[in-house]
Amino acid sequence: MRPLWEPKIVAFLCHWCSYAGADLAGVSRIQYPPNIRVIRVPCSGSVDPLYILKALREGADGVLVSGCHPGDCHYLSGNYFARRKFLVLHELLEFLGLGGRVHFSWVSASEGERFARVVASVVAAVQNLGPSPLVKEQEPYGTP
Amino acid sequence: MELRDAARKLLEEGTVQGILGYRRGSLPFRTRPYLFRNPEDIEDLIFTPFCTVNLARYLFHLPRDCRKVAVVAKGCDGRSLVVLMQENQVRREDLYILGVRCPGMVDRRKLEERWERLGEEEVCVAGETLVVRGVAYPLSSFLEPSCRRCRHRSPLVYDVLLGEEAPLPPREDVLSELRCLPPGERWAFFAREFSRCIRCYACRNACPMCYCKECFAESHMPSFLHPSPTLRDTFVFHLGRAMHLAGRCVACGACERACPLGIPIATLFFAVAETVREHFAFEAGMDVAALAPFVTYREDDPDACIQ
Repeated sequence: MRPLWEPKIVAFLCHWCSYAGADLAGVSRIQYPPNIRVIRVPCSGSVDPLYILKALREGADGVLVSGCHPGDCHYLSGNYFARRKFLVLHELLEFLGLGGRVHFSWVSASEGERFARVVASVVAAVQNLGPSPLVKEQEPYGTP
Repeated sequence: MELRDAARKLLEEGTVQGILGYRRGSLPFRTRPYLFRNPEDIEDLIFTPFCTVNLARYLFHLPRDCRKVAVVAKGCDGRSLVVLMQENQVRREDLYILGVRCPGMVDRRKLEERWERLGEEEVCVAGETLVVRGVAYPLSSFLEPSCRRCRHRSPLVYDVLLGEEAPLPPREDVLSELRCLPPGERWAFFAREFSRCIRCYACRNACPMCYCKECFAESHMPSFLHPSPTLRDTFVFHLGRAMHLAGRCVACGACERACPLGIPIATLFFAVAETVREHFAFEAGMDVAALAPFVTYREDDPDACIQ
């Protein structure tokens, strides 16, 4: 039996690789958990860490950011810059005790299978952690 | 005092139009930043172990006719100036850096907690000891948290460097205690601290690196957080700032001292600085020509956190 609580996960997918990878997963009828909400971005390098923080603020239990493999960026170096930002944010969240909620991956346009695996592992990790401590509290203020 | 002589000479010779320094505050142990413009005022220029304010912040508030200014710079002020020069916020030729060797700044709150009605004349710092009412105590246990983990007490870029060299005491890492806790307890600690935050933005306003005309915290288009001091909005504010300060924070601790609630907010920035140091071998404020870690990359950057 599936647990009652299902995590909400926001996925930022780069237009050139991971979004196409997700598309391939869909076209190939590969099954993966339906917990992700996809936001298409031009490049993983365009994902400001503030986007990730805002997703958590708005009630996401987890965030996935996915881009092209290193060296394959459509814009040549966007994912290299992204990697540095992700590393710092990842370590910072880990330090705060919120590790395991924000995930990063490289998925190319031909890796539909891999995309499904990544999503499954992210969903499993976030499901393990339970609801985000930022959304548990009932707060009077909604979307700014 | 050689600092006063140097400052007076600079003003009298017209090398600079003002000296950004410290003068005595109106309460004991308080000092206030002050722009000295007349050589007669230089009598009031002081440098004591209570001059905690980061003067680099005040470069953005100078009067327009103050084209070139001399800044009294401890190690952390000096590093802040280097980052500001790196980011083209201030030009080297518009600055005269009056470097001072810093003995470490004494935490006023610790003194006030321990002794009641302590007068400024009852406290003096001699080398590695702090003498209070005739009794000597080790200075290191009364230093500001940022000073206890300081690596460079003197500025690295300067025009003159004054004062006597003091040995750097062993670093006390305020982070290692937290790092030893299990993640759940760490989050409990930060959630408790964040919940106390009233979002007055004093930490941001005291930060020499937070010079943006419009801060993401107050931006409406796009909007990242609500101005209400709820846990999740406070979380976005402090983490967003920590990300913006990655590779730029010089660990001066100005944010923490400005906080009216005493939230140890600098720990976040120290943690980020540690990550940057460890993974990108970069320390903020060391070299004007260096590239900040987020404007460059290496093909073999660590990617252990990426699936």
